[in-house]
Amino acid sequence: MTEDLLSVRDLRTYFPTEDGLVKAVDGISFKIKKGEMVGIVGESGCGKSMTAMSILRLIDPPGKIESGEILFDGVNLTKLKETEIQKIRGGSISIIFQEPMTSLNPVFTIGEQIEEAIMLHQGLDKEKAREAAVKMLNTVGIPRADEVVDEYPHELSGGMRQRAMIAMAISCNPKLLIADEPTTALDVTIQAQILELMKDLQNRLGSSVMLITHDLGVIAEMASYVIVMYAGKIVEEAEVTELFKHAKHPYTMGLLQSKPVIVKDEDRLKSIPGQVPNPLHMPKGCYFHPRCEFATDKCRESQPQLKEVCEGHKAACWLYEGAM
Amino acid sequence: MEAKTSEEVKLSEEGIMSPWRLAWRRLKRDKLAMLGLYILAFMVLISVIGPLLSPYTMEEMDLSNIQSPPSFKHPLGTDEVGRDEMTRLFYAGRISLSVGLFAVVISTVIGSALGGIAGYYGGFVDTLIMRIVDIFMSFPFLPLLITIAAVMSDWKVPPQYRMFVVMLLIGVLSWPSLTRIVRGQILSLREQEFMQAAEALGIRDKSKIFRHLLPNTYASIIVSATLGLGGAILTESSLSFLGLGVTPPTPSWGQMIQVARDVYTLQTQPWLWVPPGICIFLTVMAINLFGDGLRDALDPRLNR
Amino acid sequence: MRQYITRRLIQMIPILIGVSILLFCILQMAPGDILSANVNPHMTAEIKQELRHQMHLDQPAYVQYFYWMKGVVKGDFGDSYYFKQPVTTVIKTYIWNSFILSLVSFILSVIISIPIGVVSATRQYSKFDYFFTVVALIGISIPAFYFGLLLIKWFAVDLHAFPVSGMSTPGTNLRGIGAAGDTLYHMFLPCLVLTLGSVAELMRYTRSSMLEVIKQDYIKTARAKGLKEKVVIYKHALRNAMIPVVTIFGMWLPSLFSGAILTESIFNWPGIGPIELLAVNNRDYPLLMGINLILALLTLLGNLLADITYALIDPRIRLK
Repeated sequence: MTEDLLSVRDLRTYFPTEDGLVKAVDGISFKIKKGEMVGIVGESGCGKSMTAMSILRLIDPPGKIESGEILFDGVNLTKLKETEIQKIRGGSISIIFQEPMTSLNPVFTIGEQIEEAIMLHQGLDKEKAREAAVKMLNTVGIPRADEVVDEYPHELSGGMRQRAMIAMAISCNPKLLIADEPTTALDVTIQAQILELMKDLQNRLGSSVMLITHDLGVIAEMASYVIVMYAGKIVEEAEVTELFKHAKHPYTMGLLQSKPVIVKDEDRLKSIPGQVPNPLHMPKGCYFHPRCEFATDKCRESQPQLKEVCEGHKAACWLYEGAM
Repeated sequence: MEAKTSEEVKLSEEGIMSPWRLAWRRLKRDKLAMLGLYILAFMVLISVIGPLLSPYTMEEMDLSNIQSPPSFKHPLGTDEVGRDEMTRLFYAGRISLSVGLFAVVISTVIGSALGGIAGYYGGFVDTLIMRIVDIFMSFPFLPLLITIAAVMSDWKVPPQYRMFVVMLLIGVLSWPSLTRIVRGQILSLREQEFMQAAEALGIRDKSKIFRHLLPNTYASIIVSATLGLGGAILTESSLSFLGLGVTPPTPSWGQMIQVARDVYTLQTQPWLWVPPGICIFLTVMAINLFGDGLRDALDPRLNR
Repeated sequence: MRQYITRRLIQMIPILIGVSILLFCILQMAPGDILSANVNPHMTAEIKQELRHQMHLDQPAYVQYFYWMKGVVKGDFGDSYYFKQPVTTVIKTYIWNSFILSLVSFILSVIISIPIGVVSATRQYSKFDYFFTVVALIGISIPAFYFGLLLIKWFAVDLHAFPVSGMSTPGTNLRGIGAAGDTLYHMFLPCLVLTLGSVAELMRYTRSSMLEVIKQDYIKTARAKGLKEKVVIYKHALRNAMIPVVTIFGMWLPSLFSGAILTESIFNWPGIGPIELLAVNNRDYPLLMGINLILALLTLLGNLLADITYALIDPRIRLK
């Protein structure tokens, strides 16, 4: 049994606003094993990015982690001092963001930005750091790495920049790599290349990956385990093939059905009726019930808990009450 | 359907708010900005109503009471020919405020129209307009203003009309910076998709500029105009202080401060020159407070 | 880069010509000329006519312009009517006084404003921030000349702490350190006035530039790399925030020379400001033309400097 690298328990991240309290992450618990690639999928605003930022304690005030534990390699990240979590950021846990065009500092060269991370976490001197940086750029498949290392971000294309970001993220051999919508802003062909790269790196380095996306196709390709989030909560989780074949939660089913299949002949695309709820006015009971075709009175009254529905497959839905 | 909470009901009844209403709501919450607005309103009020409430007129000379310090009869004292200072202060307010206002209106209208045309048509028209802008902006503002004001003086414009000359002057010299801003905005807006849609619908040029592009620049124009008002008032006061703006007997706040150039008056009769300065300061400060709040409220990218 | 500079310098020429034409036209609009204002009884009508002819004042405007430009191209701006000296001499005598006053102000402003602006931005909405925001607001709302007058009243007249006017104490004949000290003593109040205005503007500008930068994605990335907050702010954010700020400096260049007309005249500081007022009040057209043209040239050079600086420090522009 592979050990757990990351164990999140009942994480709550709340944002007080002028109009009320926004519960961005509302009590989620999950685990990521060593070497595993876990996909977190959900629509915009469901809290998946906030989960990632919470792990690294990068939540901007006035938001904060209200309660919960984040155990990483045995250490509770929520209890660490700022100086201690800084050692972990970019070192044992790194993150790549969605927008390669704006995520790199325009006034420093690619090399300088990668070297900065290397010198910080690995204590190498400038020369050795530069060598390491060039090596990293090569690893991520950037041609002419020794020239690119002295170039500025605006001189590279989007795909190249994202590769550079990845190089920066893996430069210190992180145990966990968080990828927040890494390919959403890229062309489809580049997307495929980046995903290949990530899979390759994962195999070689043996790191765990937390892949955040709203694209089910990407999940199907990459992840071995999937977590589905909705309105700040986890509504379903299972191994990837199990989830795609036997989705249990109506939301997941809706997501799977709404993906257009080119070979099928359909008159209308199926979509989930309604809209994602306003975080300031969450519905009573199950958050999804206003859009759910199976909603019952119980759904309107109380929230279902995430329970195991069949072996290795959990869902939070009243339809399965009494199943296991 | 489940019962909605009272909050949900309120939100859905308000309906979808236009960006203007959203901005206005945000603005109302900004206490400093509203403070600015109230102070400004107060200054306008005393300028408009003050003279009506005062027992004196602007020119009334009480020769037995010249250069007297503040007293019950004359709360701000009298000047060298016995005119009541406070009354003059109110009248001066009318002048200073209206000069500033009209100057800004002139520069805003010219600036945004030219900016819109330059940005929209591009090419030769654009180059021509921007060259003119460059020429205007190559001059340091005040020296040029002073030079022109002196020439105006030579024309022996009667004092009561000088006010309008000053308005025109400031207005005509202030439009270039707004033109640049508007043009820049138009250039970036022009490429956006809603303009392509307008093109596809075959909308005429004039309509495209004035009904589609310019309204999107209103936010910047409004902010620029508001803050420009403060600048115009300061400029008018500087000019008048130097004797090149509004000249006696027309009073303006800046002009009333002129008496302080004499060291004796400076030292011994502060009631003559300190209050007009305070008026200018309060007015411009109020405008800036409000203008800043306005800018924050109209900026859709703001998050707090 | 060299090509760019050359190109810009060449572009300045038509603008300067445009400026000079504009200036000339403005001054031509004034009725009469220097001689009509002259009431010297020894000046008979005939002498005046003769002088007019000598000075080309009886020629049509464009001819006068031509004569004037001919001189300008050779570096001769004509003679000042009031000072009876070449315009260039007059300008040279006084412009450096304006320069030192403005330079000291400028340096002080930069040293004060930028750190405050940066800290204000990093501690947005704190007491520190509010305090300096208010100070900045006051600074841009108060008329400079009014503030100067207030200072004179309080410090010079009432408290006798500083001199009321001038650049040096009359009657003394100091040299070296003594002279420098005396100048500084006289410089204090006018400098204060000038500095307040520019500090206010610079503080606000730095603050808003910093705030913009801190919101950017690459700052998020820097934090995610595990860098200390100090490094994130003072290395990653500051470099970017300074780009627009530094370009303003280039635009302030002309004002270093144009002098603060109001401040200088209130404090009787012998700079180019009061000279300009003198020229205006005495219809000394050659001097006016000269001063304005030089100022226009400096403004254009300042813009060029700003653009070059921008290109030097922003890699996105540099390599185009």
